[in-house]
Amino acid sequence: MNTSTTERDALYDRLIVERARAPLYAGRFEEADARGDGRNPLCGDKTHLDIVLNGHHIQDIKHQTRGCAICTAAADLMAEHIRGGSVAQALELSGRFRAMLVEPPPSVVVDDQSASLGTLEVFAPLRSHKARIRCAELPWIALKEAFSHVDG
Amino acid sequence: MSTQTPTVHAVPQLDVHAIRQQFPILGEKVHDRPLVFLDSAASAQKPNAVIDCMANTMRHQYANIHRGLHWMSERTTEAYEGVRDLVADFLNAPSREEIVFTRNSTEAINLVAHSFGALLKPGQAVLISQMEHHANLVPWQMLRDWAGIDLRVAPITDDGDLDIEAYKALLADGKVALVAITHMSNVLGTITPAKQIADMAHAAGAQVLFDGSQSVVHHKTDVQALGADFYTFTGHKLYGPTGIGVLWGRRDLLEQMPPFLGGGDMISTVTFEHSTWANIPHKFEAGTPAIVETIGLGAAIEWVNKIGFDGIAAHEADLTTHALQRLATVPGLNIVGHPRVRGGVVSFTMADVHPHDIATLLDRNGIAIRAGHHCAEPLMRRLGLSATARASFGIYTQKEEIDVLADTLVRIRDFFV
Repeated sequence: MNTSTTERDALYDRLIVERARAPLYAGRFEEADARGDGRNPLCGDKTHLDIVLNGHHIQDIKHQTRGCAICTAAADLMAEHIRGGSVAQALELSGRFRAMLVEPPPSVVVDDQSASLGTLEVFAPLRSHKARIRCAELPWIALKEAFSHVDG
Repeated sequence: MSTQTPTVHAVPQLDVHAIRQQFPILGEKVHDRPLVFLDSAASAQKPNAVIDCMANTMRHQYANIHRGLHWMSERTTEAYEGVRDLVADFLNAPSREEIVFTRNSTEAINLVAHSFGALLKPGQAVLISQMEHHANLVPWQMLRDWAGIDLRVAPITDDGDLDIEAYKALLADGKVALVAITHMSNVLGTITPAKQIADMAHAAGAQVLFDGSQSVVHHKTDVQALGADFYTFTGHKLYGPTGIGVLWGRRDLLEQMPPFLGGGDMISTVTFEHSTWANIPHKFEAGTPAIVETIGLGAAIEWVNKIGFDGIAAHEADLTTHALQRLATVPGLNIVGHPRVRGGVVSFTMADVHPHDIATLLDRNGIAIRAGHHCAEPLMRRLGLSATARASFGIYTQKEEIDVLADTLVRIRDFFV
């Protein structure tokens, strides 16, 4: 895309394009402690998660995603962010990720939490593309499903 | 695609520039770019003739119809019923009483599924094709489940044509009571061989319904020449308003069929114990209909008639040929469906770029297309795809817009690969 187009296409951060093209956490685990599926009936996109747990600690995670660039990159960056943390931390991050997508940006107080979303902030421009928010949410929906079978 | 130039008869050239002037929305900008609207197969834009007619109806000549004894009601009834004549003429239906107004093509098909379906017996079958829109699939599944009939699905070829031999085989046992098939696929652009389909259905003792939602827009429709028994279309794809569709049905069939919805306007006499039904078409038009929308559909039909289908069909064939040629030059682009006869709908995929990403990035450049399963999930599965991008053309589409589409697609592919 030429420069002017790139500016308008801030929606597709370079990181999204890179992770969609070559995801770092794509694949399956034969042995997994939790598995989850997300499916968007409106577009046919789907993602499958295999999670290896050590107690309530997310030791490893892989995703198998058939979807658009946003969905694939969202799954990959989600895996990157929650790997090595606890289930509770992952669910808490899920809540803040969703808040970033659906809530209006804080106009007065800039909360310090948003900074901690790190590279997940590349999805913030989706806020003004309501039709595509579901694409980024799909892996998180799969994550919730995976953890629904795990004792809190 | 054949590169042979067909013999050109004296087809009136459309003055596309003048036509575009009649669509105020085409002057709008999207994301600071001129709107390039390539999504007419989903819903077409509206000319001033339709907009003004509807506004003027509400401003100057509006009341409920069929019941008022006052001047306004009588004039509005005349305008509403006048559209029935226009539609009958538009489809070359034998009589105006065979034209039933519905909300859209979906409701028209549901009406047939409900009311013609009520005449079917367990063991009989309805036969559809693999390229049906959900509107011509789900109502028959619902009928199957409550009436105990069979639902058969005729396959398509890899090119996207109806597999005629397989179709013939599915008719062979004489149990098919109704064939319900699209006249033009909203995904593949396939124009089905309607006359042949109808002749084969009749030879096997079946009636035939064509979903004409896509096809009525592109060429002249003659339900008698096609040998159809039912035909449906929707107003909003024909440059008319939403909320108004049409079912045409053969008189003897409509007369045998029980009503669809009950209420005012569809009755002859009503007591607390019993009601009797009005004659067709009113038997199928319960409640206050979409009066303004129906009158708007009339304006759309008159507007299209004035331009003429010879010119429209030639213009759209020209656009489609141009689009197939231009899109073929986009690296990694794959056209979905290569039917023998096609209309102005082109579906495609691109290697390494998801259709939704294509649609979003095109939109950022002011270009509106559709992406997804196009309400034809089983067809997508048959094609081995989850989604496609689709560009579709209308009376106001210009070749330059297709060039903008192709050029932007090249840039999108560069962006992702």
